[in-house]
Amino acid sequence: MKTLEVYNLQKKYQQGKKSIEALSGLSLTINAGEVLAFLGPNGAGKTTSIKMIAGLIRPDAGWVRIAGCNPHSNPQALRMLGAVLEGSRNLYWRLTPQENLEYFGVLRGIGRTVARKQALKLLDQFGLMHKRSTPVKALSRGMQQKLAIAVALVHKPSLLLLDEPTLGLDVEACQNVKALVRQVASEGCAILLTTHQLDVAEEISDRVAIIQKGKIIAEESTEEIIRRFSGSTYTIKFEGSLDPIQITKIEALGAIIEAEKIIYTGTKPGLYKVLGILEPLPLSHVKQDQSDLTQIFLKLVREYNHD
Amino acid sequence: MIELFQAEIKRIWIEFIRYPVDTISGILANTFVFYGLFLSAKYIGGPNLQVGERLDAIVIGYVLWTLVVFTLEGIAFGLQVEAQTGTLEQVFLSPFGTLRVLMIRGIANLTLNVVLICGVLIFTMLLTKRYLHFPVSIILPLVTVLLGAYGLSLMMAALTLLYKRIQQLLGLVQFALFFLLTFPSEIWNRSLQNLRVILPMTVGSDVLRDLVARNQSLDLSSFLLALMNGMGYFIVGVLVFRWAERQAKRQAILNGY
Repeated sequence: MKTLEVYNLQKKYQQGKKSIEALSGLSLTINAGEVLAFLGPNGAGKTTSIKMIAGLIRPDAGWVRIAGCNPHSNPQALRMLGAVLEGSRNLYWRLTPQENLEYFGVLRGIGRTVARKQALKLLDQFGLMHKRSTPVKALSRGMQQKLAIAVALVHKPSLLLLDEPTLGLDVEACQNVKALVRQVASEGCAILLTTHQLDVAEEISDRVAIIQKGKIIAEESTEEIIRRFSGSTYTIKFEGSLDPIQITKIEALGAIIEAEKIIYTGTKPGLYKVLGILEPLPLSHVKQDQSDLTQIFLKLVREYNHD
Repeated sequence: MIELFQAEIKRIWIEFIRYPVDTISGILANTFVFYGLFLSAKYIGGPNLQVGERLDAIVIGYVLWTLVVFTLEGIAFGLQVEAQTGTLEQVFLSPFGTLRVLMIRGIANLTLNVVLICGVLIFTMLLTKRYLHFPVSIILPLVTVLLGAYGLSLMMAALTLLYKRIQQLLGLVQFALFFLLTFPSEIWNRSLQNLRVILPMTVGSDVLRDLVARNQSLDLSSFLLALMNGMGYFIVGVLVFRWAERQAKRQAILNGY
């Protein structure tokens, strides 16, 4: 089921006499329970897209549907949307976490009683119960960010927009946020997240969309894009020792033998030939050398800039 | 809607009392002003005051001005503060719609301020042993004044959305309102008198003064004029705010400050 559908979004800004194209025909979809990492260099149009999806910026052309509703004309669409926006506190700093959750619950259209129950549940789920009566301004940055995500979820939205959710967080807080994002997605919420931390995107996203100059230049599953860009070199580790016949056969296939390790560059059928020769030695490790999302991202963006 | 109103009252109250020194200073300042008004009523009015130098007239003018200023600040200045502190966009994500949220916030703000001012007023009356008598009928012209105040506040909020900082203009408007609400229109010069019907809240404040200071009964034609004035400002305020909201979303400047 498609939770978010975005079609052909276009936006131009006027800066003095210059017209700047922020988005030129952006389209994407996200299914329930899916995490889409929305990647792009600074100024590529990520935040504009997120705010357009949230109904905070009006597109020149194109449309947005959240579970079939248009957030620009139907306020009910906002009941299905939660957002943590970058560069904003998103919270009332004089209020405590519990007060923030209860207030935003009502502001998002759920009743006071439901908001109170949800607040307690989220405080527990996000590990903030012990800080529920501390004013937000006295919380650490990591806790504030966790709370901002909890607040965005208080009305049980079907779509969560996270603009740079791990920005400025220490390692532990970052791990916490990543785990929470996966947990929220596993409960059926569709998540669109932007981040410059590509290791975070690689770890938690199901799909990636790379945006450059207002256009999506690549969109596919995280696993698939990494596989597609990964090399054809395999590392095979085994236990025991090779006999001279095995060594000859393996070297004849072009593989390099090191102590308890073989490095093979070639096709998959070739790989299976190597594995066949190794039989019956126990294998401890077979791994394709992989590109990471950072390399793929840089390659795609540079290629696009050269075109 | 009722629940949103309650939630707003709670939020505003918590934010109000979280810094106790500031809160107590504010209440004390209000108390001193009212105490001063009670003690020196006839001097403040001066020789030109044609309302029998009634303390009630001065107090009602000041209370009215205070409520209008609170409304103006609660809506227009509140919007600027939210843009600066980074919660404004979250308000725009409410399915209630920004306009409705702002109106409810305005009413919640007003409710708290009315309770606070009434408390201070009662305390001052007990302290000075001088008592004011307000007929129940003042609610009608008060509503017309508040409608005008909300309309004006929405216009200021619209300017805040588009131009971000309008403190100087807000200061000027407050000064102008002080004149409009506390000086009876019969002491104005002729050209201003001609404009009285279209100036914000003026007719309503005159009707209020007639009721409180001159012990007159409610003049229906004046009240209807005040109501039309208030409704006019309110409708224009709503239309201007909606237009500014569309413009801010088109120009992507909601969150700027």
